[in-house]
Amino acid sequence: MQKMNQKSNIQSKKIISYVLKALLLLTTLISASAIILIVYQLAVRGLRPLFGVYTVDGFTDVKLNIRYFFTGMEYIGYLKDFNLDGVLEGAYGIGYLIINTIFNVGLSLLLATPIGILTAVFIVKMAPNKLGQVLQVVVEMLAAVPSVVIGMFGQGFIAGIIKNVTSVTGNFSLLNTVIVLTIMILPTITMMSTTALRAIPRSIEEGSLALGATETQTMFKVVLPAAKSGIFAGVILAVGRALGEASAVSLVAGGSGSGPNFNIFGRTNTLSSRILMGFKEVSEGSLDFEVRFTMGLVLIAVILFFNIVLNAIKKRVANYEL
Amino acid sequence: MQLKSGWLTMNSKQKTKDIIIRTTTYVTSFISVFVLASILIFVLVEGLPLLNFDIIMGDHHHTYLPGVKIPYTATDSYYEYTPKAGEYYSPRYGVAFKDEQTLEGEPIIELTYVAQNSPFSRAIGIGNHAGEIYALEVGQVFMSGILLWSDDYFTEGGSINPDATTIPYQVSEGAKRFAEALEETFYIATIAPVILGGGIRGSIITTLYLIVLTLVIALPVGILSALYIHELAPQNWFTDFLRSLIDMLTGVPSIIYGLMGAAFFIPLAQSMFSNRIDSGSIISGAMTLSVIVLPVIIRSTESALDVVPKDYKLASLALGANETQTIFKVMLPNALPGILSASLLAIGRIMGESAALIFAIGTVITDDVSIFRQGTSLAVHIWASMASENPNFALAATISIILLVVVLSINLLIKLITYKFMKRFR
Repeated sequence: MQKMNQKSNIQSKKIISYVLKALLLLTTLISASAIILIVYQLAVRGLRPLFGVYTVDGFTDVKLNIRYFFTGMEYIGYLKDFNLDGVLEGAYGIGYLIINTIFNVGLSLLLATPIGILTAVFIVKMAPNKLGQVLQVVVEMLAAVPSVVIGMFGQGFIAGIIKNVTSVTGNFSLLNTVIVLTIMILPTITMMSTTALRAIPRSIEEGSLALGATETQTMFKVVLPAAKSGIFAGVILAVGRALGEASAVSLVAGGSGSGPNFNIFGRTNTLSSRILMGFKEVSEGSLDFEVRFTMGLVLIAVILFFNIVLNAIKKRVANYEL
Repeated sequence: MQLKSGWLTMNSKQKTKDIIIRTTTYVTSFISVFVLASILIFVLVEGLPLLNFDIIMGDHHHTYLPGVKIPYTATDSYYEYTPKAGEYYSPRYGVAFKDEQTLEGEPIIELTYVAQNSPFSRAIGIGNHAGEIYALEVGQVFMSGILLWSDDYFTEGGSINPDATTIPYQVSEGAKRFAEALEETFYIATIAPVILGGGIRGSIITTLYLIVLTLVIALPVGILSALYIHELAPQNWFTDFLRSLIDMLTGVPSIIYGLMGAAFFIPLAQSMFSNRIDSGSIISGAMTLSVIVLPVIIRSTESALDVVPKDYKLASLALGANETQTIFKVMLPNALPGILSASLLAIGRIMGESAALIFAIGTVITDDVSIFRQGTSLAVHIWASMASENPNFALAATISIILLVVVLSINLLIKLITYKFMKRFR
């Protein structure tokens, strides 16, 4: 009797174990399917404007002008008779948004990368121990500041300085956008660079010093190149973050309806902030609503493109592994 | 000799070069400090004057109290009070006012003092509230709708004078003129007190709801997934595939999450609670946030499991416990501090998220919070007040103070927990 009890006990424990394992596997599958769900939802909605027809303000069978969508330099947001043949088509040009997005992110990278790397060098190699730790915490805090707060800071504070120093009159300018983006990605680059620099073995440094190089030479000509791959990974992360940033940018960019704009005192607009703009006014299922998903697809394509390109560069640049 | 001096110049050249490079590094590395300090100072300077209990507990919308009339007040009525700077006092009625502005910039007058037994403390309701006694209180404001009858309201005989004159007064004329006008006023026939809005109680409650709901959804899924991937999953291509799918989530911009929330979670929440939800809701927002924090929770739970020594697991298995028992009774309890910091990280992310929530819930600021309706988290409240026609820096900065204090202390707390946790196993 006792034995049988024990046996059934073991049996039930085994069953519980299997059930739990199945549960764990199930939750993992749920977690993993989230990204598939996102891509699926985005594709279903985002591809419809490219192939489907809509009814806009009583006009039936309205199509999106696809050529103008990708190459257009103005986001008209309404219908237009492109060929002057009486056929109205959706005029949503996002070509200038794509160019603006890439240009803005490129400028902020030019600012943030050197600052981030130098900060990392200082934290890891130059600063006294305590100061380095404090700086590290400061950088982590900066990374934790919500993006909307940085956007508000841009519109409330940086805009004021820009107005005083330059000819910009409003709160919105490309310069402001670039500075806000720089603040957003600076901690990412710095943190990744410190991790990369910390991983460099001391022996490499000692070798360089023993050969007669000064400490500064060692730092910038030996240690930094050795950490290239890790620093590059930080830059790639930062690019992804900057390309997709919406709420902070929407507060400082100015939401220009056409472009592209390369004048740092002019207004600008990016893909993600354009998706955000005026969203609350559109009704679900309309062309105005679903074209935002198409823009989301384009945004993902841009991010993926730069990810692949930068990763390829990273592989080529980091030709020696430690 | 020549060789030596040549070597010397080269050396000194290198030295100046080194010094320049070093100084540049020193200076640039303090840019982060400078930026963080400017953000904090800006937010404090702009927001602190407004930060008080009223704004935290107050409604966002104005509360229009029922209109009232003030009892007849004879010319010999007199109340003693010394007005403070900026106040305008009417001794006849025993009330003081000052000029104020609404958040939209409209001029209003605020009641700053009511004398004991002043006619203002014995106001009588009109219309639907006829006959009820109201005491007008300090802090209430008047926006419009004031009707003043002058001293000729009654004839000599004591009946109402058909030719009585009103004293023309608009709130835009200011508090000084109002105090003066009151001195000639016998009877205030209507006056409509308003409790000013602009508070953020609704957004604070919404944020708390979002945090709780999101953690309820995401924590179990995230922790169980991390346990599976870290402890149970066989080492094969399928596990690698699952892991890379989860890792991909971290790179998705929040606006894309927002689009998914609008396209998928809003309809899902609607069909789950049919006929209770008709647009975005806190539920759909929490579902969207769950996906956003999922990779955060999985990753930090995994790294917490990494820190737990392998010996613990082996010892448990050697003692005859099976795999699941080991996972739930040895690994999970030992990784608890790591899981705590995972949830703190998630809370930080939830509080800071704005773009996704603008899509998944909307930007309608409410006072009457329900998880089946729209609402704004604190971050979205900032965005909404900045993206409007006339941006309200002061309010946005005030909310930012609250947000920054919470988010930054969460970050410090995580550092502390991680430090203690790592120390325990070393």
